[in-house]
Amino acid sequence: MEYISIFFQYVGQYLKTRLTYRADMIVEIFSDLLFQAVNLVFILVVFGHTNLLAGWSKDEMIFIYGFFLVPFSIFASFFNIWDFTDRYIVKGEMDRILTRPVHSLFQIVLERMELESLFGVVTGLVVMFYAGDKLGLEISWYDPFIFILLVIGGALVYAGIFIALATIGFWSDSRTDIMPMMYNIGNYGRYPVDIYNKVIKYVLTWILPFAFVGVYPSSYFLEREEWYTYAFLTPVVGIVFFLIAVTLWNVGVTKYRGAGN
Amino acid sequence: MQNIIDVQGLKKEFKSFSSRSGLKGAFRDLFTRNYTIKTAVDDISFTIKKGEMVGYIGENGAGKSTSIKMLTGILTPTDGKIVVNGMNPHKEREKFVKTIGVVFGQRSQLWWDIAVQESFRLLKKIYNVPDQQYEEHMKDVIETLDIGPLLDKPVRKLSLGQRMRCELAAALIHNPPLLFLDEPTIGLDVLVKLKIREFLKRINEKYGTTILLTTHDLSDIEALCERVVMLDEGKIIYDGPLKELRENWAEGKQIQFQFSEKATLEELQHLTQEHLVVWEKGESDLVWVASVDADETVISGVIGKVTAAKKIADLKILEISTEEIIRNIYVEGAVRHG
Repeated sequence: MEYISIFFQYVGQYLKTRLTYRADMIVEIFSDLLFQAVNLVFILVVFGHTNLLAGWSKDEMIFIYGFFLVPFSIFASFFNIWDFTDRYIVKGEMDRILTRPVHSLFQIVLERMELESLFGVVTGLVVMFYAGDKLGLEISWYDPFIFILLVIGGALVYAGIFIALATIGFWSDSRTDIMPMMYNIGNYGRYPVDIYNKVIKYVLTWILPFAFVGVYPSSYFLEREEWYTYAFLTPVVGIVFFLIAVTLWNVGVTKYRGAGN
Repeated sequence: MQNIIDVQGLKKEFKSFSSRSGLKGAFRDLFTRNYTIKTAVDDISFTIKKGEMVGYIGENGAGKSTSIKMLTGILTPTDGKIVVNGMNPHKEREKFVKTIGVVFGQRSQLWWDIAVQESFRLLKKIYNVPDQQYEEHMKDVIETLDIGPLLDKPVRKLSLGQRMRCELAAALIHNPPLLFLDEPTIGLDVLVKLKIREFLKRINEKYGTTILLTTHDLSDIEALCERVVMLDEGKIIYDGPLKELRENWAEGKQIQFQFSEKATLEELQHLTQEHLVVWEKGESDLVWVASVDADETVISGVIGKVTAAKKIADLKILEISTEEIIRNIYVEGAVRHG
């Protein structure tokens, strides 16, 4: 398909520019790693005081965190749209995007990708294997396929939420601090939802379904059968939220007002 | 010949929120909002035929950019019908933009930190241009614009003039039959301007490319366009040949006197009372401009009377420039029909 070949052309170009700024790339990967390490330490500190949290053990929590890193890194590599309003609406860059014969959202994904973040996938896998080994989890032949499906679902959930938020920019270009707040809320999906109260659990499942990025899909691999329904809903929720977001986007484009000049 | 652009009753309104003043006002804004509707483009209609080069002029805020953005599919019209290259620009955007080229003078199409030719290659991919067509066409474009030596430099290292030429080349990668240029010569020096004009003329002749051009620099339009469309406050106030505009408006000539001593308006009016003269003060008390009919007896009469009475340091006879014509039209707010 046409878009796939455009995608690889951009990736090639991206690597070419990035390799000329090698130091930059290394610093970025390093700071990502540091950030992930801090999060892990946080889990370890909490479990320094207790052995179980709402029935989840330390290694299970670590496993969930490891899983979370994989879809999150994929999201972070391709959907850098947290500054969409500033960059594309206020500065009028959207004008340029709209004069090109490729879907506007796809172009923004291509322009804003940051492939360094994909390194998080490796970190996530390492963390998962470490925790899984301690928990004595076994891997069946079909598990990798289910893993890929759940990861894609989780990444789509994230992408859907953030695309939907970015479309606000088409209606109003005033500054909002909603994006950083959303990144914080996203972190709640890394912990088992039954440690929160009912309202938060409901919100994280059906309204801002971040739980489908971490705890729900992980529970399949942790063999927590009470959560299996949710685990297998992950791709469905991902696709639904993503489609809603793209629809909102397409409507938003028709409301685009352009930057004055 | 077929119409490339067909616009009927095009209208664009922007709704904007006007905030009340003061803290109390801000509080009221939370509940009820005052919206003001600004009409940027107000019911305009025109058609452009294949191969025409049309100058689209107007003051800032006259609605030029807004209408260009509707014609290129960036903005959705509030009302009216647009057919460009046989398509509705906004509805069929992705298919439509393959048939147009766009240069926004204040906005770059190129990627900032990659080499120009890499940008071209990405655009070639985006527009899905076959290799052979690209080679043939771009070789010609690169040669005419003389950008061969710039191709392996990153865009951020180019001067404005160099960048602009590359932007033009980038807009033509897919050899579109219709080209929109919004302020393509803004901030450029004369030599680059001349090169760009020459190039535009050439592609117009060679490929029959239709060109719609907005600019503040009327010399661009004089050099390129036979037809101008003039906008004011969202309405078309003139649409026709540039020549006619000049003929109807530039009937007179101007004589600029530079005196060696101070002159006053009364004194000068008194001197030339037998002719129809409008006196205007120039840059200083010493410089005065007389606008007269383009009639030899009047011109020599005025010069004779003035030079006989006052010492002059310099004297110039000026044709009224297009720029001045346009300014006059805007001052009067409508176009006289001769």
